[in-house]
Amino acid sequence: MLKRVGALALVTCKEGIRDRSLFGILLFALFVLGLNVAVAGFFMRDLGKVTVDMNLAALSFAGLLLVFFIGINLMAKDIDKKTIHLVLSKPFSRGEYIYGKYLGLVLLVVCTLALLLVFSTATVAGVHAMYPAYFGGFTWGVYFWAVAFIALQLALLCAIVVFFSAITTSSFITLIFSVASYLVGVSIEEVLFYLKSQAAAGEVVASETLRTVLEVVAWLVPNFAAFDLKTEAAHGLVLEPARLFTSAAYGAGYILILLWLATLIFRRREFN
Amino acid sequence: MRWRRAGINALMLVVLLPVYLFLHGISWEQRAEVRRSSPPGYTMPAPFSRVLAMGYQGLLSDYEFLRAITFYGDRSVKQERMSAADWDFFTYSLEVVTDLDPYFLDPYVLGEGLLTWDAQRFEEANALLTKGMAYRDWDWQLPYYVGFNHFYFLKDYASGSEYLMQAAEMPGSPAFLKTLAARLAYYGGKSQTALLFLQQMLAQSNSDTLKQRMQKRLLVLERAVQIEKALQRYRNEHDTDPVALQMLVEEGYLQKLPPDPYGGEWGILRNGRVYSTSKFVDPKPAQSK
Repeated sequence: MLKRVGALALVTCKEGIRDRSLFGILLFALFVLGLNVAVAGFFMRDLGKVTVDMNLAALSFAGLLLVFFIGINLMAKDIDKKTIHLVLSKPFSRGEYIYGKYLGLVLLVVCTLALLLVFSTATVAGVHAMYPAYFGGFTWGVYFWAVAFIALQLALLCAIVVFFSAITTSSFITLIFSVASYLVGVSIEEVLFYLKSQAAAGEVVASETLRTVLEVVAWLVPNFAAFDLKTEAAHGLVLEPARLFTSAAYGAGYILILLWLATLIFRRREFN
Repeated sequence: MRWRRAGINALMLVVLLPVYLFLHGISWEQRAEVRRSSPPGYTMPAPFSRVLAMGYQGLLSDYEFLRAITFYGDRSVKQERMSAADWDFFTYSLEVVTDLDPYFLDPYVLGEGLLTWDAQRFEEANALLTKGMAYRDWDWQLPYYVGFNHFYFLKDYASGSEYLMQAAEMPGSPAFLKTLAARLAYYGGKSQTALLFLQQMLAQSNSDTLKQRMQKRLLVLERAVQIEKALQRYRNEHDTDPVALQMLVEEGYLQKLPPDPYGGEWGILRNGRVYSTSKFVDPKPAQSK
């Protein structure tokens, strides 16, 4: 089984690498890294923070583009173009198909991030060498942790894409649902904590019902803010191992549940 | 047929390109005009911008900070005085920037540099810095700035030394801080306080615009200190203040009154501090329209 899943993952990843848009995404990320070198001098003291902000933003945004534009295509093409019949006639189960595709997407994301990380490390090291006095609390350790958690966040997003691909019939709907889930997931924490702080201060900004709805939504969508270590990396703040472990376990748990649901639905699905 | 098409293409190029270039020029000129007369602008309140940053709060804080500093730079290059509304926008921008990323050092440094000297908004500057102290609790610079503000601007020497002591106890703080607190307590609100402080700020800054401004201010403070020292000698020997600063020159305590680079006239405050009518800021340019 592992062999078959691995083979499908490899094929999916290779197909993604062949996609021309990948070059566009890589160029975009490299452009932001170059911009970083140009812009850093505009700031006064915290050049390290600005550099880390821009580098991590470039990596994570390139990852988002990758998942939304290449990942969804890879997942949905089989169903859109009806090649799924061909694939499913091969000797592997539908569950293996889901896991194989998912691992292929994650592999693609990890390979791209690893490539970009090489460039990004060079950029950070370069700016660091240009302005050594303005890199206050910067440490490479926290920086690499932040990149690892960007990868985890993207892996979670891949699971969302796979899940929606398994239940919808068109890649466009998958795109809309995945983007929506991402936008809600990335902002839900901020909204909830804001409402809580306002409620604590005695001000009613949202009705009780709306707050309940938001609480329920927070149970459904993943809290992407849990994987965001950009501020910590920018200022070299101390990372508590417990926090890293909890976030990683939370992400992994969410991924497993989504993939399990996806296989459950995909097994019962009729293709025509 | 082929020649005709080439001819048409050449004609299009000859006609359209100049038209485009002409329109481009006009459009940019117009935009420059629109921007010149535009009000300060709007910074989205932090609760909204934190959500709309979509996980890129740090990047948004960098952007908003650049916006604030270029806004100030724009006014400063055109020699336009910042109006109260401009300062409101500037102060609020720094507040939002530090809400987006409360660990970001630059807005605090910029706030200390401009909100105090130029805007005379000491309370706002101190509130901003105190907010930063809660987050950057390892950084000696923020309590150092607050301490200076208390000393020099607010004349609250007790709180001033408290903040300076706090700064001196932090890791990485320069050794002179420990003695500085004592020296500042002695000099109090005199120009020497500001001189010591500015020398420190200048040594740490890498922004050319700010450096130039600080150097000018450093020069005027050095001159103020020079006059204050002469004044002190006069006072020690005569037990009274001179009626006018010119007397220091007449009686040989000073070779001549050094000119104020900001173009003001020197005078003596009742507490013995030398001041200038320029208040050490650039004079208001003649109202131009």
